[in-house]
Amino acid sequence: MTQGPTIFQRRIVIGAVLCVMAFALVGVRLIDVTLFRHGEAGAVVGPSLFARADIVDRNGDLLARDLPVMDLYARPHALDDKDGAARDLARVTGADYRRLKGAFANAKDPYVLVARQLTPDVQDRVMHLGLPGIEFEPNTKRYYPDGRATAQLLGVTDPDGNGQSGLEGGLDVQLRTAPGVPVQLSIDMRVQYILGNEVEAARQTFHAVKAGGVVMDVNTGEIIAMVSYPDFDPNYRHMIGDDSDHNIMAADRYELGSVFKVLSFALAMEDHTTTPDEVFSIGNGYRIGKFTIHEAEHMPATYTAREILAHSSNIGTAQIALRSGGVRQRAFLDSLGLLRILHTELSEYARPLFPAAAHWGTIETATIGFGHGISVAPLSYIAAAATVVNGGRKVVPTFLKRDADGRGEQILKPQTSLAMRELLRYVVTNGTGRKADIPGYDVGGKTGSAEKPIPNGHGYQPHVLVTSFFAAFPIEAPRYVVFVLLDTPHGTKETGGIALAGSTAAPLAGRVISRIAPILGVPQKPVAPAHEST
Amino acid sequence: MVRILNTFCVALMGLSILALYHVSERTRIADVELSSVDRQIAREESTMSVLQTEWAHVAGPARIHALAESRLGLTGAPALQLSSFEALPRRGDEAPLTDTPIRQASAQVPAN
Repeated sequence: MTQGPTIFQRRIVIGAVLCVMAFALVGVRLIDVTLFRHGEAGAVVGPSLFARADIVDRNGDLLARDLPVMDLYARPHALDDKDGAARDLARVTGADYRRLKGAFANAKDPYVLVARQLTPDVQDRVMHLGLPGIEFEPNTKRYYPDGRATAQLLGVTDPDGNGQSGLEGGLDVQLRTAPGVPVQLSIDMRVQYILGNEVEAARQTFHAVKAGGVVMDVNTGEIIAMVSYPDFDPNYRHMIGDDSDHNIMAADRYELGSVFKVLSFALAMEDHTTTPDEVFSIGNGYRIGKFTIHEAEHMPATYTAREILAHSSNIGTAQIALRSGGVRQRAFLDSLGLLRILHTELSEYARPLFPAAAHWGTIETATIGFGHGISVAPLSYIAAAATVVNGGRKVVPTFLKRDADGRGEQILKPQTSLAMRELLRYVVTNGTGRKADIPGYDVGGKTGSAEKPIPNGHGYQPHVLVTSFFAAFPIEAPRYVVFVLLDTPHGTKETGGIALAGSTAAPLAGRVISRIAPILGVPQKPVAPAHEST
Repeated sequence: MVRILNTFCVALMGLSILALYHVSERTRIADVELSSVDRQIAREESTMSVLQTEWAHVAGPARIHALAESRLGLTGAPALQLSSFEALPRRGDEAPLTDTPIRQASAQVPAN
């Protein structure tokens, strides 16, 4: 008779089985980790160093980056001489002495923020003070290598790294969501610098209060450059002199004046309400009800439609606009996006000002025809004017790189766009835009000189102008448009005291194009000797 | 038989304890080294980030423009000074470079 296992033997067997199972489990896990999961070790990524993604231009050049800095804290209870420590720290870091003195004296405050975003050299100077109870906390500071050149465009962040203005504000979510993936803009930093360099030089020359400029690709809608002056230094953020963080090209609205004639003529050509060779009476004034439209300067008794645009006749353009009629004009401007807010990646935008449909009467149709009585953001106008020259398809500006054709709805017939390009070229060769005619490139464009409205809204300020120039090049098949604007320019000895756009904005646009066209790879045309001698 | 099996299991357990301790110790050391390397990588990345930013600053168009003007005496180049190869005169052409339209045209760029 065999005896069964004792209770101890059963317990030993159960224990042994549990041990074997435990070892088997460990063994299986070891095999799993070593054979099947060894590749995962390389995929382990530590936390990102920085909170916001880099911003780079279309060529990959760095425009904005978070840099490591230190925040400085102090523990007042560890300081023997609180007043002396407050004085030393204020001297070294630039912090407010009275704030530090008060905070150090307050026994309820065990941990006092002395200064934020200290650079390594300031950090060294603090260390050399040899104070006890001093602590550094790692942080980041947004740095802009090109400083003022991109200030209005990129905007700034607050000390906590939140986008406050410009593209930093408009792209805040994208920049914070994937800190390791750079955001590539459509901006070309070389063009941005040249545009800024020329616009600021013109602002100084003509003593203009403000000035701005935009370069845009007419097919993709990419903004290649955008500047607004006065500007500011985004790395220091202290406003000095007339510094401003206001981007006039996106956040302001202007009555742009005669550059709007481009749109009136485009509508007339589209609807065949006139032809370039039709003759119009100009005279000394054009009466509509109790209002009389005048010219900015003396003009002959008659002009062809082509000459009306070339010499920027208000009376002639008013007649052409009236043929289109207010309803059609309003619908056309709406289809170009001029009666709506233009939303881009920028955080700034401007609401257009224009008469309500019920008040869009005869006089409004005539004055809006030559750019008075309607205020739009310069950026909105550029998009509309680009549509006129790019084959007639609507294009929406973007600040992000986009290689594909960005043109959308067909607003104008391609033949209308071609006719407008010929007219714009005529303005530059024979009209008010002659100073934008540069050798090597066929530029087409239109000047605009508008008197500024009186701030209370009643009438205009005589001889206080906003001058602008819209240019497209090469005009036979435009790739880029340039728009420059001078707010309240003054004539100089070289311009004979004239501050009109033909003497201020047109040559500025010509200089910009002559410098950026080779960089943008726009092919040159051979220069004929006959052209040079003029 | 049971005694041999028990002895074997105990021996196996002892060896396993030693092996696990060895692996655990190596893992701990590797973890410390990994942390150290991670910190070093972070420091190097931070330094590279600062250097790249400094490079972007010193190689920016504004600085290059200022240096080109002050050190090399260069000025803003009008469009036709940057001509294409096709526009350059060929060997044996009658018109020398100084009389080509290109040279004359570059003087036509508005000065202001």
